Amino acid sequence: MASTDEELVARSVAGDHDSFNQLILRWERPIYALAYRVIGRDEDARDVCQETFLRAFRALPGFKGQAKFSSWLYRIALNLCRDWIRRQKRTPVVSAPEGIDIIELAAEQGPVESIEELVARKQLSETVAIAMQQLPEEQRTAIILKEYHGLTFQEIADLQGCPLSTVKTRLYQGLSVLRRDLEARGMTRGRASEKAS
Amino acid sequence: MNEVFQCDDKAQLVAYLYDELDHVARRRIDDHLRVCATCAAEITGLAGVRHELAGWVPPDAELGFSIVPKVRDEAPARVLRPAHGWRLPDVPAWAQAAAAVLVMAAGLAIANVQVRYDASGLVVTTGWMSRSAPEVTPAAAPATAAGRADGDWRPALAALESTLRQELRAARPAAAPVSASNVEGAELPMQRVAQLIEESEKRQQQQLALRLTQFNRDLEVQRRSDLVRINQGFGQFEGRAGAEIARQRQMLDYIMRVSAQPPPQ
Repeated sequence: MASTDEELVARSVAGDHDSFNQLILRWERPIYALAYRVIGRDEDARDVCQETFLRAFRALPGFKGQAKFSSWLYRIALNLCRDWIRRQKRTPVVSAPEGIDIIELAAEQGPVESIEELVARKQLSETVAIAMQQLPEEQRTAIILKEYHGLTFQEIADLQGCPLSTVKTRLYQGLSVLRRDLEARGMTRGRASEKAS
Repeated sequence: MNEVFQCDDKAQLVAYLYDELDHVARRRIDDHLRVCATCAAEITGLAGVRHELAGWVPPDAELGFSIVPKVRDEAPARVLRPAHGWRLPDVPAWAQAAAAVLVMAAGLAIANVQVRYDASGLVVTTGWMSRSAPEVTPAAAPATAAGRADGDWRPALAALESTLRQELRAARPAAAPVSASNVEGAELPMQRVAQLIEESEKRQQQQLALRLTQFNRDLEVQRRSDLVRINQGFGQFEGRAGAEIARQRQMLDYIMRVSAQPPPQ
């Protein structure tokens, strides 16, 4: 049976590096995905991911388990993303996913996915990425944490350091802007009307 | 607490959307959605957005970070990033090309490449070892003095080398004949080297084939994507042109109708 995060943390604090490496293995992809969606650049997202685990490792003795380990990691990663955005002194560029990932995906999936499906998925991904780019950072982060990481409103509020109601407002406003944007691009309306009917 | 859901309570609507409501509040909104088309449409629209968001997938990056423990007097443990392809993301192509030329020039200089064209044809030599000197007979030795006088030191050097070789040959006993086992021993490493070279070539060919396949697929995806965009563009153009034609036809019908009417008395 796999160890829980708490057990691995306890063993890591006691000096077991392998346990911390298991935590890395468990959480590196979600942290990378979070960083990528917030700052929008593959290479920088890797850097943020690496730095997140480095900081977590150094601060591990001070981690008393007052929050979930994952929430703690998310907080470190989000702070690093915020620093990165501040350093760039510009709106983060949520670039369209680079072509290489589509190709790699295609190589992995082999003949299962046709070129047409690949094209459609690439276009969808690009459109969503561009639409997300239009949102303010707080709204975008709230949506990312909710949609892709499944955090509760309360967890997002803790991470963003704001009241629960603010999180809901950010989500509502962000989703509404996205809805208008995507509808203007010819997406969601059809599906929405299909569902309505 | 309100018993009836209010349309402007967007916080409750979002909580409903993400299913973070207690049973009572959820049923209250369900009841409201049955009678309020506006809120129902909004929930449907936002659910549609959530569906589209699922299509945003980050690159399938190779991560594999790990903690490397401290060894003796080295720096503290650190998180190492996985090895991946060497990239120069921010260096322009011309700079990369210039760097490549520099590296190549340095390589040629180190290898001491010399190109010579003479009566025996084009000769390319590399390395710092001197060329095998031409056989110089003792009779030719007097000529070296003349050559030295002309400033040509090469024949003198060749003569000196020849003399030294003769002296060395005379000083040491005759070399042992080369046995068959020695030849085999020398051939074995060569076979191994040849095998390694062959394996390396095969690997490179496979990598090249893989990259070509990926490139082709990338190209095809881009081509299809462009075709879709072009089709969309044509569709919009045709729509606009069709609307214009319809308007002109209406105008023509109107003119025909007006012109067919008898002039007023």
